[in-house]
Amino acid sequence: MRLVLALTLVVAPLAAQAAHPRLAGRVPAAALPAIDSLVAQAVAESLPSEPLVQKALEGGAKGIPADRLVNGVRRGLIQLRNARAILTRVAPAQPVPDGHIAAVAAALARGLSPELVERLLAGAPAEPPGPVLHAAADLVAHGFNPDSAADLLLTAQEKGLHGMRLLDVAVAAAHELQRGGGRTPAQALERVRAMLPNVPQAPPPPPHPRAVTHRHTAGS
Amino acid sequence: MTPMTPIDPHLQQALDGERDPSALPADLREAYARLIGAASLLQDAPPVSVAERVMAEIRRSPLAISRESATRRLGHWLTRPRAFTVRLRPAWTLPLAAAIAAILLLPLGPSGSPTPGAAEGIAQFVGHFPGARSVEVVGSFNDWSRGTLPLRDENHDGIWHGAAVLPAGQHEYMFVVDGERWVADPLAGRYVDDGFGAGRENALLIVRPAMAGGDQP
Repeated sequence: MRLVLALTLVVAPLAAQAAHPRLAGRVPAAALPAIDSLVAQAVAESLPSEPLVQKALEGGAKGIPADRLVNGVRRGLIQLRNARAILTRVAPAQPVPDGHIAAVAAALARGLSPELVERLLAGAPAEPPGPVLHAAADLVAHGFNPDSAADLLLTAQEKGLHGMRLLDVAVAAAHELQRGGGRTPAQALERVRAMLPNVPQAPPPPPHPRAVTHRHTAGS
Repeated sequence: MTPMTPIDPHLQQALDGERDPSALPADLREAYARLIGAASLLQDAPPVSVAERVMAEIRRSPLAISRESATRRLGHWLTRPRAFTVRLRPAWTLPLAAAIAAILLLPLGPSGSPTPGAAEGIAQFVGHFPGARSVEVVGSFNDWSRGTLPLRDENHDGIWHGAAVLPAGQHEYMFVVDGERWVADPLAGRYVDDGFGAGRENALLIVRPAMAGGDQP
């Protein structure tokens, strides 16, 4: 325990310093100390700091005033904390990967309620959270009832659909709704449920589009 | 081949100037006259031996080549077959073969465009911005940096497009038009509040892995 505490005390300032060179000159100088502090807090709490650095870089690029920029980063830190709390409730004894925390935080940012997120994660605790949460957020954004959307996605998982294929469920539901004929959202969901697991698959992108000239890596 | 016949000694002496040709018998005088005629013909003809022809060609060649253009000389040099010897230790053959195989199997697409790995996908961006002078994509995949992912409008029809290999997963992004106007991609289909309190939204992109097996957080 002492070792963990000591490592935390050493690593947190180092991580904050590591973020500093990426932020210097890219965010208002007035915001830099507060952002450094928020990043250091995230590291001290074993939360991923990269989403906070990205939010700060985004605010700097957009010319957001310092106070609003700091508030945006702070909101991001709160979402990361909430995300980790949800994941810990779903799987108390397991380590929580940074990527899962970031994915759940992104779902919260997209407007999913913590209860809905927890229900979806509990339905398939071994699955990576990103795809099912994005599929749910897509359905909610199209006007479907959140609980009905969650029901559909959990059924899809039970019928063998996983990962990115869950996004196809959301796409199929949106298509059914747009098909017209006075179909209600509930009817559209029911039609998709009847298709499971054979919802149409999204066409793959062309393997070598002519204009691909860039490769970007996360956090680069 | 016709066998050589020995020459008559009297005729030989006459040819060597040791005997008066007029003293030869009639048949030998006739032979003497033919041989002398042939000798005079040989003396008048130009000396065209094989060796002389080769030497003449060698003397002529540099002059002829120097008259050729540099491009033509390079073409000759490149296309003329040449023999060369490679001395290779057997221990090096295996690494060399492996290196050649790696080069041949390197995953390069047409015209050398980047190819997505197992945990990467191709993101395509399209926007309709008639009259725009420049459009670029700025987002979480490039640290929100300007100038790394410009879109193109070759036809000048206002439709700007581009593509990039990105890590599979979620990315937030915006279009920056003419270097100053930030626009959420109208065709993105997914949006998320940018969190800065003004109700502005970023476009949200979910990149699927190009190959099966790519992991997703």
